Amino acid sequence: MKLLYNWIQEFVDVAAPAEEVRARLSLAGIAIDALEDSPAGPLLDADLTTNRPDCLGHYGVAREVAALYRLRLKSVEMALKEAAQKGDEVTRVEIECPELCGRYTARVIRGVKVAPSPDWLRQRLEALGQTPINNVVDATNYVLFELGHPLHAFDLNQLAKGRIVVRRARPGEKMKTLDGFERALTPEMCLIADAARAVAVAGVMGGAESEIAFESRNVLLESAWFDPISIRRTSKALGLRTEASTRFERGADPAMAELASRRCAALIQQLAGGEILAGVVDVYPGRPQPRKIEFTRKELLRVMGGDVPDKEIEGILSALGFAPRRVDATPGSRDSLMAAWECRQPSWRADATREIDLVEEVARHYGFDKFPARLPTVKQAAARLPYAEAEDRMRERLIGLGYREIVTIPHVDPERDTLFRAEDITPARLANPLAEDASMLRTSGAVTMAAALEWNLNRGQRNLRLFEIGQTYELNGAQPVETRVLTLGVTGLAREKSIHEEARAQTSADLKGDLDQIGQLAGGLLWEPGGPEWLHPARAARFHLEHPAAPADRAALGCAGQLGRRVAERFKLRQDVFLAELRLDPLYAGDRAARTAMRYAPLSRFPAVERDFSLILADGTRLAQVVEAIHTLGIAEVSSIEAVDLFRGGQIPAGKFSLLVRVTFLSPDATLTEAQLTGFTACIVAALEQNLGAVLRAT
Amino acid sequence: MTTKTISVTQTLAQLGVTRPTQASPLFAALRREFDRDAEAAREEAGWKAFRDAWLGRKSGVLAQITENWLKPAPPELKRAVGQALNELRPHVEAVVEARRAAIEAGAEQAAAARERVDLSLPGVERPIGSRHLIRQTFEEIERIFLALGYTVVEGPEIETPYYNFEALNIPEHHPARDTMDTFYLHLPPGITPRLLRTHTSPVQVHAMEAQKPPVRIIVPGKVYRRDNPDATHSFMFHQVEGLAVDTDITFCEFKGTVEYLVTQFFGPTVKTRLRPSYFPFTEPSAEVDASCHVCGGSGCRTCKFSGWIELFGAGMVDPAVYGFVNYDAKRLSGFAFGLGVDRFAMLKYGINDIQLFFQNDVRFLRQFP
Ligand SMILES: [Zn+2]
Repeated sequence: MKLLYNWIQEFVDVAAPAEEVRARLSLAGIAIDALEDSPAGPLLDADLTTNRPDCLGHYGVAREVAALYRLRLKSVEMALKEAAQKGDEVTRVEIECPELCGRYTARVIRGVKVAPSPDWLRQRLEALGQTPINNVVDATNYVLFELGHPLHAFDLNQLAKGRIVVRRARPGEKMKTLDGFERALTPEMCLIADAARAVAVAGVMGGAESEIAFESRNVLLESAWFDPISIRRTSKALGLRTEASTRFERGADPAMAELASRRCAALIQQLAGGEILAGVVDVYPGRPQPRKIEFTRKELLRVMGGDVPDKEIEGILSALGFAPRRVDATPGSRDSLMAAWECRQPSWRADATREIDLVEEVARHYGFDKFPARLPTVKQAAARLPYAEAEDRMRERLIGLGYREIVTIPHVDPERDTLFRAEDITPARLANPLAEDASMLRTSGAVTMAAALEWNLNRGQRNLRLFEIGQTYELNGAQPVETRVLTLGVTGLAREKSIHEEARAQTSADLKGDLDQIGQLAGGLLWEPGGPEWLHPARAARFHLEHPAAPADRAALGCAGQLGRRVAERFKLRQDVFLAELRLDPLYAGDRAARTAMRYAPLSRFPAVERDFSLILADGTRLAQVVEAIHTLGIAEVSSIEAVDLFRGGQIPAGKFSLLVRVTFLSPDATLTEAQLTGFTACIVAALEQNLGAVLRAT
Repeated sequence: MTTKTISVTQTLAQLGVTRPTQASPLFAALRREFDRDAEAAREEAGWKAFRDAWLGRKSGVLAQITENWLKPAPPELKRAVGQALNELRPHVEAVVEARRAAIEAGAEQAAAARERVDLSLPGVERPIGSRHLIRQTFEEIERIFLALGYTVVEGPEIETPYYNFEALNIPEHHPARDTMDTFYLHLPPGITPRLLRTHTSPVQVHAMEAQKPPVRIIVPGKVYRRDNPDATHSFMFHQVEGLAVDTDITFCEFKGTVEYLVTQFFGPTVKTRLRPSYFPFTEPSAEVDASCHVCGGSGCRTCKFSGWIELFGAGMVDPAVYGFVNYDAKRLSGFAFGLGVDRFAMLKYGINDIQLFFQNDVRFLRQFP
């Protein structure tokens, strides 16, 4: 809200420059975002918190200024020059819904001459961003910005029987508001009606038919109080936010209603002439009970940890209207630890009902900066998330393996999500997405990983290794389920050409090797062919933990492979892309189990011996079969079996391939003799020939 | 093998040496010749021949002397020859070794001059990855609070309105809900509505439901607000919630903690300022400002020429919140805060567009190793 400094100065004799007032208000919780010049004088732009509707007028802000500078706030009480005839002789007010309207006052001003407002008033309204309309309407707006209380002026002659009925809208009822729109109303909404029809949406906007026009002569001036929740609902339902609705929905001051009416009537008379009928028609079913609030030094110390002298406490609370009165046993004892004050909640401070609210009032006006800063004593040991160490180890490994971490937004295009989603998964959709292509929560990490690869490839970044630690979302019945996953995305070159080495493209073997390195943290992975539909059928795999920590972790941990052509084309990915996704909770559990089981194995004092077997095998023979055939022999000295070379073609006949297998022998007890090694080798060759039809190539 | 001047293949008798006094000049001559040879051995091949000539196991000069001079010598000569040989041997061995070292050093120097490495050429760089800057910032904030004895906890991103709003003293139709436009899940009617949490604060409530005071937790996580994306808004961003509740936590401890955080994160010269504000779940509430780390407070574009930067909202836990978790509001007090991680990172590293975090352009990621 915009505030004119000279307008504030009408209510408090503050001489400080506007810049200083701005700073002090900001440090007392009335945030002034900007200070600018306007033809009407220096203009403060206040960004008010929703709990302070009392500051939505110059008078309310002047009260804060008065409290800050310990100056007197001038009274706005005033008397009217009234006509002999009484207002209630020409109008009547009925409230049918007191739960929505706590007070309704009506004043009648007769014989006004509606005209444009004088310059001084137009200038002030324009400075606040308002468009002047005519002197009567402008007077209501002026008082709204002055006292913070919304008013409405009706053309009394347009009100059937000159009557006001405050009631709920009838089902299907319609009304044209003064912005020209036809509004459909519902029974939740509070209406102002005359004897015949609706004339205003209460507290939100007046009706077109009863608005003040240049030919209007007689004015019924409404100043009322409406239930904040009702106004808020109505304003939301109609999509109609006005200066009035903003004040009512945050909580206007019911006591101010009559005074604002008086002030406005006087202003109308001043600007447009006419006579003010005597008295006010005031229906006040919701008169608030004045609330007493106790404020004690004990509570101040308990919450704030620092003291404030009596003089300050009393000065602040008095200036803000809380009328503090010492009520403890020794009221004469200054700054006593037992000091207690009985305070009265001012009608304009619906937000202040509890002792803590007064603690805040005292603290913010005394100054947050006056309380010392100190660190709390530590009573407990710090603790990270239970899986934090496991995640660190995994992340370190991934970074060591050359992966860059990404963070994605889980809102995805349902069409894209479907590409990666198994049929039995129910996705979580948003009821109110910002856009259709961000209307579903991802059910896989692959869908946003593919988008990250796409983004980079479209920007000439062709060699990528990315990972994300995040969540997937789905519904189990109506129950949302969030699952922690790791997603890897790999494309382009594993090694770029350099003066030291040749370029090498990444393949699905890179992904498998990397995943095995991750899997080692949890005791290793077991692989099997096959995978979800979005992977290339020949280069798709699932993997399990070799040693699941819990029975539930026996299910596949994840899948990996080359992105299938169908999906790659949807993302317009023109180079091979490899993706993997795995569930993290079982991996972390496996990591914990593996760490717990970790023990030292004695190093052999004797040398290990390697023997290479160059085998020619039939296509389709797997390394696992070779390993199995060797293991079946039960040679305890076999410490490892590795494939070191594999090729097809050349001198190798069609339908066969050559596999170079390196077996390492090691005994913990003795150096292996040539005779022993010859024996082992012979056994292995025989087993491979017999079981797999392997032919040993001469080496 | 023999020397150039003295035959070691012949016996002493054949050389006419019969008296012990003749041994000394004989060995002296031998030593002079050895020293000349040593001087001549200047490169590796020459040194090897030199070494084999003198120390070769069978045909080396010393071996030959043992074989041809010493062994057949009559007893009266044996003693003198043996002693002279024992004196010569360590000299030969030491000089041979010294020549080797000298030759190798020389060879290295020559090689260095010839093949000096061009250090402007790159080494073999194994590609290495990186942590996302948001993750780095989370870790930095976590470390700060771990040092203060906080425990890290987390909670679900999909929440009920109760935990996201009601239990935080934000009833339905509270104006504060306007400032946190919320995504709701599309669910069949009749089911508890679910939303994407608009802040990490619901975890405060979960944590207090689950444990008795004292409480000292931080909650890192993703949060969602239905804002149209632009350079300063993303409908998903990251927060670290903090909560400390105990019988002896006051505004002063709140202030101390916030100041510690700000100086640890932004630097020891950065000042903190608390401005009264309003949040339904804290009272007193404050906006935490930091003096501008870019200009030091004199005013610049980052701080919109105010010298101060608004960092995050915080305050003393509103007693009403304790009511929702059955904590004794009369006995307990505490503070809570919600840091915007993305904002912290943007301020610290001069990033002007929040969308950069989530586009994951590797040219961006590479800048934060
Ligand atoms: Zn600055």
